[in-house]
Amino acid sequence: MTYRADVLVIGAGASGGVAARHLAEHGFDVVCLEQGDWPDRSAFPGTRPDWELAIRRDWAMSPNVRNRPEDYPVVHDDSDIEPLMYNAVGGSMIIYAGTWPRMLPSDFRVRTLDGVADDWPIAYQDLVPYYDAIDRQIGVSGLAGDPAYPPHDDYPLPPLPLGVAGRRVAEGHNRLGWHWWPEPNAILSAPYDGRRPCVQRGVCTSGCAEGAKASTDLTHWPKATAAGARLITGARVSRITLGPQGLATGAVWLDRAGVEHHQEADVVILAANAVGTARLLLLSADDRHCPDGLANSSGLVGRRLMMHPFSVVTGWWDDQVEGWQGHFGASITSYQFYETDPSRDFVRGAKWALSPVGGPLNHILPMRAGNEVWGADHHELMGRTFGRGASWAIFGEDLPEESNRVELDPDRADSHGIPAPRVSYRISDHSRRLMAFQEERAAESLTASGCQETAVASMIPYSGWHLMGTARMGENPANSVVNSRQQTHDVPNLYIADASVFVTSSGVNPTCTITALALRTADLLVQRRSEQKVPA
Amino acid sequence: MTVADANAEIDVSRLEELADVILPAAHGMPSASEVNSIAAYLDQVLDWRGDLRQPLARAVAALEPSLFTVDRLSSLHQDDEDAYVALTTAVAACYYLSPVVREQIGYPGQVAKTYDPYSYTEWVAEGLLDPVMERGPIWREAPE
Repeated sequence: MTYRADVLVIGAGASGGVAARHLAEHGFDVVCLEQGDWPDRSAFPGTRPDWELAIRRDWAMSPNVRNRPEDYPVVHDDSDIEPLMYNAVGGSMIIYAGTWPRMLPSDFRVRTLDGVADDWPIAYQDLVPYYDAIDRQIGVSGLAGDPAYPPHDDYPLPPLPLGVAGRRVAEGHNRLGWHWWPEPNAILSAPYDGRRPCVQRGVCTSGCAEGAKASTDLTHWPKATAAGARLITGARVSRITLGPQGLATGAVWLDRAGVEHHQEADVVILAANAVGTARLLLLSADDRHCPDGLANSSGLVGRRLMMHPFSVVTGWWDDQVEGWQGHFGASITSYQFYETDPSRDFVRGAKWALSPVGGPLNHILPMRAGNEVWGADHHELMGRTFGRGASWAIFGEDLPEESNRVELDPDRADSHGIPAPRVSYRISDHSRRLMAFQEERAAESLTASGCQETAVASMIPYSGWHLMGTARMGENPANSVVNSRQQTHDVPNLYIADASVFVTSSGVNPTCTITALALRTADLLVQRRSEQKVPA
Repeated sequence: MTVADANAEIDVSRLEELADVILPAAHGMPSASEVNSIAAYLDQVLDWRGDLRQPLARAVAALEPSLFTVDRLSSLHQDDEDAYVALTTAVAACYYLSPVVREQIGYPGQVAKTYDPYSYTEWVAEGLLDPVMERGPIWREAPE
């Protein structure tokens, strides 16, 4: 007999983990299909002397470079930014930095306030209870009272250390009269919920062996499975199936050996990131019901991809600050130039996060700011700068454009032969003006903080961590894919929990908002369970 | 002496000569060969990064050590980027794995540190955040 779940979740990352735990804890029979595996923390490279080599290959953020069987290729020949992700239980949280900013009230109303893009159908206040709840589930370290935000609940843990560099830049901003605040991080500063605190090793983006950095394999899946959720790893979904009533009936998936299965469910939740979810919706096209892709009557599935143009401005002092050490994550943040200022030649703004620079290989084979220098001058450069720097990592708000999109590639496929996604993306002139302004201000910040020299790595291509917007939220089915509950307009028992639903990108790291939205979606499903249409 | 595999052979003696041009003795730092970095660590680096082997072998074969100068690296970069990346990555990785070099640059590796998570109360009490607080809210009101 075929087993039919209440809810099928596709993807065990940030949004999938949060939704699955909440639904399982509220009595839903949940099955999750995840193409990756449980991460093995003993294999994380950060404690090995070769970690900086590992992050350039086996532990690269790009699935195309890592090229593991659970990865799928992402064709990005026609993109200014390379999409980055990680396929495993915990998803891309395994390799994210762990900074945990909320979006701001203005982020939900950019059309009303600034005349660009679109407003969200929900407001900041709608998410506040979910932001507060998710902070407690995750174990966020931070300090309440940031005047860049409306007042909200305190974080469950004290802020992580400022470090020498954080302290210097904080003092620099005080001299300039500019905003700064200790960055909230999804990284434990003290023991919490059975997990150990951060040890400041500075290797967060190649996996946190201590388990101090939150990822749902630690924070959500153990609780979800304890509540009865069933998580199947090595399970690659090839398409969502549709029944005669126009309702989703489940998904076809392939195991590691390539054997095909079908998982039936009353409700399907896509949680596969804004590239993977768009890919699956397009793969689920059906000549009879949805020839252009599932839930795509608006034609917007895959369109409006946003990835946050990313620049790094590094400054170096004339003494040691142990610039390779500290959470990565960020020590301090600045929203001085986040909100729109009509005197500038762009609208919206960017968030800054102060991060370590890395060990010797990252320093001299820069993935961030700086140039390679060889010969005798190499030693002079290392002596002058190594261990003496810190970087402002700058994410600029990326406004949606329909031409930035995910499609299916006609030629490339994953290891199961399923067509790969192809990303077309251009950084707009507006974004270039916005980022140029921010880069100049960030260099001023570091100079005012006592740095002797600065360098800018402008709009780095290898930076597509933040994948958003390919199935936008809205109340009008003609110009959106999901409603404000993240239920697809076309298929009433199909939901999207990941950042595909973002209407605009904001200028902050998205994982905090992704998880708050996923919790809200799951909570509304619980509340409206009796009204939910399901297949016969 | 060569390090061999099915796909590529690397002339280690030649590579050591090239490495000494890329990382010579200067500014108080030893050269690559003075810390025996290639002989000591190349196998280890290639164990971790087998993908570097072929382009590294190509780079070593293409560059004549007696004529090699740092300036030649930019043309290698232009002509064969993979070979350039493999050569500079392998030479630098071997060099910075040397404990002698690490000690000289003051790098202990990525070490675990302990700290008092409540020490923030000291800089708060000292008034570090006061100027930020005194300026008041900077977030923008938005309609519900």
